[in-house]
Amino acid sequence: MGHTSLDKIIALQRNPANIRNLCILAHVDHGKTTLADCLVASNGIISGRLAGKLRYLDSREDEQIRGITMKSSAISLHYRNGDQEYLLNLIDSPGHVDFSSEVSTAVRLCDGAIVVVDAVEGVCPQTQVVLRQAWLENIRPVLVINKIDRLIMELKLTSQEAYTHLQKILEQVNAVTGTLFTSKVLEERAEKEKIEERESGTLSGDQVYDWSAGLEEADDSHLYFSPDQGNVVFASAIDGWGFSIQQFAHIYSQRMGIKTEVLLKTLWGDFYLNAKAKKIMKGAQAKGKKPLFVQLVLDNIWSLYDAVVTRRDKEKVEKVVTSLGVKVMARDSRHSDPKVLLSAICSQWLPVSQAVLSMVCEKLPSPLDMTAERVEKLMSVGARRFDTLPQQTQELKRAFLQCSSSENVPVIIFVSKMFAVDTKALPQNRQRPLTQEEIAQRRELAKQRHADRMAADQRAAENHKELTHSGTPQEGQPAGVTQMESLTLKDSKPAEEETFIAFARVYSGVVKKGQRVFVLGPKYDPAQALNMLPEKYSASDCVPEVPHLSCCSMESIYLLMGRELEELEEVPAGNVLGVGGLEEYVLKSATLSTSPACPPFTPLNFEATAIVRVAIEPKHPSEMPKLVRGMRLLNQADPCAEVLIQETGEHVLVTAGEVHLQRCLDDLRDRFAKIEISASKPIIPFRETVIRPPKVDMVNEELGKQHKVAIIHQVSQPQSHINTLHVDPSGLVTLTTPNRLATVSVRAIPLPQEVTRLLEISSELIRTLEQVNMSLREGKNLDISLSTVEAITELKGQLESLLQGRKWRNTVERIWAFGPRRYGPNILLNSVEGYQRPSVWQCLSRGDKVGEAGAQATVLRDFDNSIVSGFQLATLSGPMCEEPLMGVCFSIERWDIQSSAIKVEGSSETTPQAGGIASGPSQARRRPDVSSADCYGPVSGQLIAAMKEACRHAFQAQPQRLMAAMYTCEIMATAEVLGRVYGVLGKREGRVLHEEMKEGTDMFIIKAVLPVAESFGFADEIRKRTSGLASPQLVFSHWEVISSDPYWVPTTEEEYLHFGEKADSANQALKYMNAVRRRKGLYVEEKIVEHAEKQRTLSKNK
Amino acid sequence: MSIFTPTNQIRLTNVAVVRMKKGGKRFEIACYKNKVMSWRSGAEKDLDEVLQTHSVFVNVSKGQVAKKDDLTKKLFLNVSMATSYHQSPVQYSLSLSDILPGILAKGELQVSDRERQTQLETMFRDIATIVAEKCVNPETKRPYTVNLIERAMKDIHYSVKANKSTKQQALEVIRQLKETMEIQRAHMRLRLVLPAKEAKRLKEKLKPLLQVVESEDFDEALEMVCLVDPGCYREIDELIRCETKGRGSLEVLSLRDVEEGDEKL
Repeated sequence: MGHTSLDKIIALQRNPANIRNLCILAHVDHGKTTLADCLVASNGIISGRLAGKLRYLDSREDEQIRGITMKSSAISLHYRNGDQEYLLNLIDSPGHVDFSSEVSTAVRLCDGAIVVVDAVEGVCPQTQVVLRQAWLENIRPVLVINKIDRLIMELKLTSQEAYTHLQKILEQVNAVTGTLFTSKVLEERAEKEKIEERESGTLSGDQVYDWSAGLEEADDSHLYFSPDQGNVVFASAIDGWGFSIQQFAHIYSQRMGIKTEVLLKTLWGDFYLNAKAKKIMKGAQAKGKKPLFVQLVLDNIWSLYDAVVTRRDKEKVEKVVTSLGVKVMARDSRHSDPKVLLSAICSQWLPVSQAVLSMVCEKLPSPLDMTAERVEKLMSVGARRFDTLPQQTQELKRAFLQCSSSENVPVIIFVSKMFAVDTKALPQNRQRPLTQEEIAQRRELAKQRHADRMAADQRAAENHKELTHSGTPQEGQPAGVTQMESLTLKDSKPAEEETFIAFARVYSGVVKKGQRVFVLGPKYDPAQALNMLPEKYSASDCVPEVPHLSCCSMESIYLLMGRELEELEEVPAGNVLGVGGLEEYVLKSATLSTSPACPPFTPLNFEATAIVRVAIEPKHPSEMPKLVRGMRLLNQADPCAEVLIQETGEHVLVTAGEVHLQRCLDDLRDRFAKIEISASKPIIPFRETVIRPPKVDMVNEELGKQHKVAIIHQVSQPQSHINTLHVDPSGLVTLTTPNRLATVSVRAIPLPQEVTRLLEISSELIRTLEQVNMSLREGKNLDISLSTVEAITELKGQLESLLQGRKWRNTVERIWAFGPRRYGPNILLNSVEGYQRPSVWQCLSRGDKVGEAGAQATVLRDFDNSIVSGFQLATLSGPMCEEPLMGVCFSIERWDIQSSAIKVEGSSETTPQAGGIASGPSQARRRPDVSSADCYGPVSGQLIAAMKEACRHAFQAQPQRLMAAMYTCEIMATAEVLGRVYGVLGKREGRVLHEEMKEGTDMFIIKAVLPVAESFGFADEIRKRTSGLASPQLVFSHWEVISSDPYWVPTTEEEYLHFGEKADSANQALKYMNAVRRRKGLYVEEKIVEHAEKQRTLSKNK
Repeated sequence: MSIFTPTNQIRLTNVAVVRMKKGGKRFEIACYKNKVMSWRSGAEKDLDEVLQTHSVFVNVSKGQVAKKDDLTKKLFLNVSMATSYHQSPVQYSLSLSDILPGILAKGELQVSDRERQTQLETMFRDIATIVAEKCVNPETKRPYTVNLIERAMKDIHYSVKANKSTKQQALEVIRQLKETMEIQRAHMRLRLVLPAKEAKRLKEKLKPLLQVVESEDFDEALEMVCLVDPGCYREIDELIRCETKGRGSLEVLSLRDVEEGDEKL
């Protein structure tokens, strides 16, 4: 078969009945790309000799180096089967787990799939995954059992053993399909039951429980792979051969005179040939005979291998070659590597492309045969049922099923991914053969140049002569050089280096170059849009004001030919194509249509979600904008990668796995950002909190009864050098400002867990509350909606119900502020006797005492604010490792500003303050200070600092704990690797919450929590340890207190007994705390040198 | 008087001398290198890991042990950590364990290599952390990470001065970094309330200090919400206090104006 011309393909595109859209799916290294190579070679695009070695569709450099496919890429092939001509849009997909998102994008565009299984390795984890993916997308698979040659050459199996082995593999594959089928049936049944239950809820009198699971009723025979069904091919893509039962049935029916139909049925299975009776009998195994398959098929192949590769029997080879009727070129038969000869023979005898392609054409559906079920599934997003979609949308289903390419049918396209192409590789910019005139022009130029050079040379020669006399430098040369440069420069032009092409398929209508279409976002709702848009609205009109809808024009459309692109004018329905010029409109995937009634397709279902997080930084800080741009491009080019900027300023890249990560980084470095970057572990956040004093010690002995062993450690806590600080044994901290004018007493109290959670959830609400309060304090009345007021009232009620008991009496009314940043999960409590201030809830009751609050507000403003600021600062960074606090309540119990302050400072000032405020015994007076001539700065500033310090000390007076961010982790694993999963979880401080078996499968679903700090490399480790049979998914869930005390040292007798004096067993909290402190450059209590005597001795020998 | 022969010598290696002058006399103790700072910070708690030998010298390198008399007279009385020095040698040695920590804590010390190194490293980190906290990328209004700042500091060859405070140095670093990369101090968001009378006059004065005026509202008093450089805070505060005689007010809405929450690209 010669090279197929572009025109031929265009012609074929118009006949959807003869189009097959298919993808090749398999586990990594089972030979997808090699098989694709063989198919590509059949079209003459690459040499048949190179097929399997070139890996034509692996166009990336790192794909070639690593030897794995990393992206899905499409190629259109032409195939003639008898008198029918077919167009095959073949998509090769990666097999590695990390790139299963690429598989999803490929599967979506196809109607059928070739599932490749290694004959030696059998069904592997990814095989299961791809079968599931194909199943979920409702596409029909066919099976290729590849690498049969390994059974012969590596495992040295006899043909009989090989037969049983192949049978086993087939069983395995069918078992997987079977489970998928059962789980689907069970699911359907469960759904049905639910509906029934709802319906029969009233008349549940006499229920007969139906034991059958519905499996018996559902027919599943058509799903399974079986050679006699013609959907299995045995192949060795590397050696270039492959066959289906049909081929041999044809051969032997002629040779042995048995009917083809009979052979088709008996060639695979427990049948044998009774030579005497010339009959095919059943029960080969029982009678110890060779099955027909072994005798007629495998034995031939085995003997060929034996003759060519193992024994290298020249004569026998000759005989085989003539009997098979193939021609072997002399140089092949003389080649020292027998494999060359083998593939030369095999690729003519049983060409793999022939076997696979004919199977594909016969067994896989054409775009015309798309099932209604699949269309409905594609069109009904989320839980919406198809029949709830608007009428016009439902009509589109017909267009789908017809797959018509007439002009008046709406165009529907699905873009499954965007991929970046070097702009130079686009057909517009590619080098093409020069026309006659151009060649002539160039020749002229060259002549000119040549003449110039000749002249220059002559001059130079003359000069040279002179040079021998005078030694002056040449002058002719530079002129020529500059001219050359200018010539070369003319050709290059500045352009965007990467162009995005959408990988898409036309489901209906004809796509034309320059056509305008709607881009439908995933949340687009056709029902809503149809109401908003005028009748007969088309995409060429102006930009509509409909959510999730935009217009664009298809600037260029391409035929995808592996690494090449061919520009096309139009593409009819049922074909895979590339669309250029969509990068502005489409992020990763989208639905394009000329009809606004078209619903967006269901989002791609990804088997693996992105879980490996790294922080990315440019090597040179000034290249930050380039990095951001590069990351944006990467985000668009990769269906699975996520990029985000965190609040800390980190640029985080989230990928599906380590190999995927590596590819993303390479892409960033070489294509998108073109700068040096470094990836590191992302910063892990912590929170600090206090807890109630524990009742038991570390060995679970009650603390009260034991007498403490004298602490022999040197007291490391230096007593505060400021004598303004006083710490009460009950945890009340009193601090005076440096100028001794103001004093605050603060106590830290742990908040109940539920309160913390409530505050965290309602942070947005608290934020609005603060804003309202702020404006109220200024006497302005901000209009707040009734719903907000209601929500606030509800929050208050919830807080009241949660904060009960003697300790918390009336606390909700006395809440002064929230922190940090005014809306965090910490509370400042006003417990100052006799100090009235407007509560945070003032907006609820503003009707009655607005006037009073307004009067107070102006007075309070200055110092009230200082206290709050101090509190905010203290909660923003705690004393343990400068991380924000969480779940701490600071209660101010006393607050004085000495009257001397007023005397000294403000004799000139009389403000209408004291009155309502300073009524209690603990004179809570405040006034704005005018003179800031004080050496300690303004009083307000001092008060902020004092308040902050007081809070910190109050915090330290309580038992402190670190809080770690936790992931919830869902792991799907098979029963045999369950133990390993637990092992990895245990090692990383994870805790299993529950596990359950998925109905109808042998998969377990384990739910666990895992500290974020331990999650780096977790996905990789768990995959490695379970050889890919378990796949975790991580989602941030909550904050959890780490139970161990970072400052813990053994104090009780029991603890001494158990841990020894130094207690150098690992303390998780201490480890985390020190890591954070070290990262921030804070002091870490750590010895520079562990053992004084074990340092390098620098003395001279004396 | 012992005879100074090789057999009578105890040679010390890895010596760090801690020296203290009291009453015209020099007292020295022999410590291990890289250990004294740990002791002072409280990380090292075992005295034997710090001291080479439990004796006080007049000159460590010559091996001259300080006379008891001098010790008791000069050191004790001043340091005043003694219990009872004049009773017996046993008790003297007891009290030696009081003298030694005293000298260790207060004496002057030749800082050893690794001590110096860790000190500079932590200071470097600390400076970078301060810079990262105070600054933002003016384009995105998001902070830079500490790592990036550290790298930038290395790029401009910033060397840490051990005797200047980290905060001071951080401000210096910010100034230098501005030349090589896009960096800016995070602005403070302030709310100013100026009484109507002085509003106009004051506003003119304030204008050069304010970076961005976000909102301006003039009814009874002029109220402005604006972003300012944190360096100008004092100045603005002073201006408002003095000029309005306490009737104007200034409120810090946020200390650093940065983007909050994660952003997906």
